[in-house]
Amino acid sequence: MVDLNQSFMKALTGFAKKRGAGYLLAVLGIAAVVAALAPFNNRINTTTVALALLLVVLFTAALWGSRPALVASVLGMLCFNFFFLPPVGTFTIQDPQNWVALTAFFITAITAGQLSARAQRRAEEAVAGRREIERLYEELRAAFERASHAEALRQSERLKSALLDAVTHDLRTPLTSIKASATTLLDEYNGAGRELIMLDAEGRQELLEVIDEEADRLNRFIENLVELARIEAGEMSLRRRWGAVDEIISTALTRAEAITRQHKVEVEIEREMPSVRVDARAVAEIVYTLVDNAAKYSPAGTRIKVVAKRAPEQMIEIAVEDEGCGIPEELRERVFDKFFRATYNMMADSNRPAGIGMGLTIARGIVEAHGGRIWIEDGPGGCGTRIAFTVPVGDEEPTDAEQVAE
Amino acid sequence: MDEKPRILVVDDEPQITRVLRRSLATHNYEVRVAAEGEAALELFGDWTPDLVVTDLSMPNMDGLELCRRLRAISQLPIIVLSAKGEEKIKVEALDAGADDYVTKPFGMDELLARVRAALRRRASTPAGATTTSIEQGDFRLDLKAHTVYLRDREVHLTPKEYDLLLYFIRNHDKVLTHRMLLAAIWGGNYVEQTEYLRVFVGQLRKKIETDPATPRYILTEPWIGYRFDPSGRTSPHAFKSSG
Repeated sequence: MVDLNQSFMKALTGFAKKRGAGYLLAVLGIAAVVAALAPFNNRINTTTVALALLLVVLFTAALWGSRPALVASVLGMLCFNFFFLPPVGTFTIQDPQNWVALTAFFITAITAGQLSARAQRRAEEAVAGRREIERLYEELRAAFERASHAEALRQSERLKSALLDAVTHDLRTPLTSIKASATTLLDEYNGAGRELIMLDAEGRQELLEVIDEEADRLNRFIENLVELARIEAGEMSLRRRWGAVDEIISTALTRAEAITRQHKVEVEIEREMPSVRVDARAVAEIVYTLVDNAAKYSPAGTRIKVVAKRAPEQMIEIAVEDEGCGIPEELRERVFDKFFRATYNMMADSNRPAGIGMGLTIARGIVEAHGGRIWIEDGPGGCGTRIAFTVPVGDEEPTDAEQVAE
Repeated sequence: MDEKPRILVVDDEPQITRVLRRSLATHNYEVRVAAEGEAALELFGDWTPDLVVTDLSMPNMDGLELCRRLRAISQLPIIVLSAKGEEKIKVEALDAGADDYVTKPFGMDELLARVRAALRRRASTPAGATTTSIEQGDFRLDLKAHTVYLRDREVHLTPKEYDLLLYFIRNHDKVLTHRMLLAAIWGGNYVEQTEYLRVFVGQLRKKIETDPATPRYILTEPWIGYRFDPSGRTSPHAFKSSG
């Protein structure tokens, strides 16, 4: 029973919304008012009747627009004349005042109806207009998002391309020396009688040395890439052992002998340094990287100093100082960024890839994995560079896993 | 006793200069080495080399700039060492006056072949040209009559083909970019029309090559231009870049 009522109501409201219904209901509205008031003709005021009919017109205009309102106005006027203005039952009007009343009613009805309909229409337009604005805004926002996404994509493509250039440059450089050396040696074997090859034992030795050294360089580069990838993935596994700081430093400096040949290297280790529980290979790697950088970026003949001392909170501090041109303050954080050199070159828009520059990033990864910190300062005396890092002395007993791994 | 030809090697990578110094010396060249452009120019003042081998990517002054500076003061042959992915700057270097290029990594035999070719050009240019005729390798050109003899048999060329051949012969054993050739033969408005050049080279090849499909005189440098070998005897493989 309820369902029937509901669907009936739904059908009814559906019907009521249609335009055509407007005309019908306008007529019915007028008819209803007339029927309700006509019996009381003697006792009620014509003004009352006029206003009641006017209400119907306004209602019609608000709900169904100007045309049904027009119909209501005309019909209302005719009924007003026929049913309420003496002589009742005719379309003639006896009293001239009532002519005025009728005309006034008519004009008022028409105007009110039109104004009401117009206001309604305006309101609807405003709503539609606002909806349109909202839609356009959405579109604009979406387009803007797409554009910035495309820009970001382009930036990352450019970065990838710059990195690729840098990586291939770092790989091809040692390969060039290797190939040139190897083909020279092969030339000797293959003779071909083109020209006299005067390759003596010393020459042969040198070329073979180059092949060996450059192969090592390639290997190191590849290892760095792998290490960097591990740090990125958070998969660094450190093997902490108790060891002496001076041993770690001397390992690093021995390895750096070839590149520091043109510099004066000094070492200053505080007396009675504690043993430290660190990954010796990794920490030596850091010292090597810092010394390598110092040698690369400071002039020949200048001093490179490696300093080790205790630091507060159960740490030790190791620093490498050089007398080069220093690192400007605004870059001191960025040099630790992955691939800083490559991106720096890309920003400068140079078409010269100058290698990747992973050393400091890896150094930072190792330091932080130990729980330490690495930073850059001015060198002593205000010029040059000082890069320092801290690692904890460490105090736990070795775990079973670490003992076994030995 | 002839003096050894002098070669100046410029590269910021110490291992590369080490190898090149040793290897070139072994092949009977006198070698000096500079690690960067400024040092190379200074050295140039005191010790005039017969040929310069320079890397393209170096800090401070790159190979391109060095080429320009060298060309301003000398016509000596310049060979550049370039890496893959440096196509644009390589062509620029050639346009700026470099004679030839080698792609890293390279075999020494490749570099040596180019060194020999470049030195050959330097040696022959003054001697082989008079005002009325030019003789180079298998070719003899009568400049007055505009006739061409290849291995003593006359070859009939159209005026443009003749111009092209003349330019090739005058710049033999040197990499000539498309732009250079188009500018020299057809003038500034045509420098982008590589297809046009290709057609003409094809026609010239038909007339002078024994087998136009495997040219011996007009050799193609892919993406760059052409190289002319008047002797036609150098194996094409001597100039082939590995990879």
